[in-house]
Amino acid sequence: MSARPTEGNPLRAFASQVWGSIFRHGLPTTDKVAARTALTNFFLHIHPVRVKKSAIRVSYTLCLGGLSFFLFILLTISGLFLMFYYIPSVDQAYQNIKDLQFVATFGLVIRNLHRWAAHGMVITVWLHMARVFYQGAYKPPREFNWAIGTFLLLITLLLSFSGYLLPWDQLAVWAITVGTNMAKYAPIAGPYTRYLLLGGRNVGQGALIRFYVLHVVALPLIGFILMVIHFWRVRKDGFTGGL
Amino acid sequence: MALNPYDSPRGRLRSRVETTRRQFLLLIGAVGALGATLFGGIELLKFMFPAATLESPPEFKTTFTLDDLTGNNSLKVNVLSDTANRVTVVLDSTGVYAVYLVCTHLGCTPNYVSDVTSGTGVDDKSPLVDQHYKAEGSAISTRNGWACPCHGSRYYIDSTNFYGPAPRPMDWVDIQLAPDKHFVVNRGVITVYRQAGDNAIPKWRLDPKSGKTNGQTVGV
Repeated sequence: MSARPTEGNPLRAFASQVWGSIFRHGLPTTDKVAARTALTNFFLHIHPVRVKKSAIRVSYTLCLGGLSFFLFILLTISGLFLMFYYIPSVDQAYQNIKDLQFVATFGLVIRNLHRWAAHGMVITVWLHMARVFYQGAYKPPREFNWAIGTFLLLITLLLSFSGYLLPWDQLAVWAITVGTNMAKYAPIAGPYTRYLLLGGRNVGQGALIRFYVLHVVALPLIGFILMVIHFWRVRKDGFTGGL
Repeated sequence: MALNPYDSPRGRLRSRVETTRRQFLLLIGAVGALGATLFGGIELLKFMFPAATLESPPEFKTTFTLDDLTGNNSLKVNVLSDTANRVTVVLDSTGVYAVYLVCTHLGCTPNYVSDVTSGTGVDDKSPLVDQHYKAEGSAISTRNGWACPCHGSRYYIDSTNFYGPAPRPMDWVDIQLAPDKHFVVNRGVITVYRQAGDNAIPKWRLDPKSGKTNGQTVGV
């Protein structure tokens, strides 16, 4: 059902053209049209054209990868809102968080959404990895995607770690002091890594801005690129059993 | 139609023995691109290491004076800390020294506690503990010292570790007496650096009367 100008009514003709330019196919009537609809639509193309019914049993493994991705989307959106109030400065960061909690309308919800989704994502990513491991879903031909997945786990943990510093309270400062001192124990590269991470010798302004940039730009971007590859591989390799 | 002069049997033979202009430009371009990438990469890496950090300088003057430390010679207050600068100044019967309050485990700032052995199972009266408090005299009745809030390491007042994950004692740093009776502490100059298991009481001191240090450094 493509766009067809309706004679006599220019408004309907325009509406029909707009609708037809967005939804290039009507509701699929045959399997062939359904396949073409999924293939030619950008938002649907990530879905397989054909899926076995057994492969989408959600109760089997709870779609933990999907849950992780959902939480990532939730974190991106809630994080974007937090960025309107948060200034990564040692003089203002803590007060900004307090403002978010007690002054900004709905700020407490947004902040807690971000916080709990962050905890949740670490949990779901670990569980997803465990599920893939116990189900043997890392075996060929999926070994490449398993490797991508380990990097995604690392990105998730680094996002969690870098976000920890941003409230700039006692817990944050000392957790990052401890964490970066652990990095210092690595042979040869250790002290350089710490200096690079902190932008100095102590957890201060240099560390705050670096962790902020890592948290809001660098790590999500790397994570997004890896996720694209991850999902593309899932599409190519197919499901092992459940979601 | 322009023909490549090297695209003929004779030309191909020639191009084997001599470098064509195209080959030369390709080579120069490749070397240039590789060089620019390498140079840019190295400089970007250097960019990420700050040349200046704008942190507080290692040398600073304490807000308190020698008189504050002695508490009008009653010897009741003999430990004063500048926690922002992570240095504490201790006065005992043998003189003044400064401890850099950086836990040797993972770098948190230990807090001053008046009863450091509490809850650790360490016997206050044991001679092993007592040796660390001889210089304090009778002014302090409990075993004061340092407790790290992060993972619970404990240190005697002279910064010797005795409990928790801390691997070695905290370092002592240089301290001088300024003419206005304030102290000048230099965290960049370590005067006592003790290895793990070195529980000997360091002899380095600043004499509050003469304002001179005895220079008995350890491990530096």
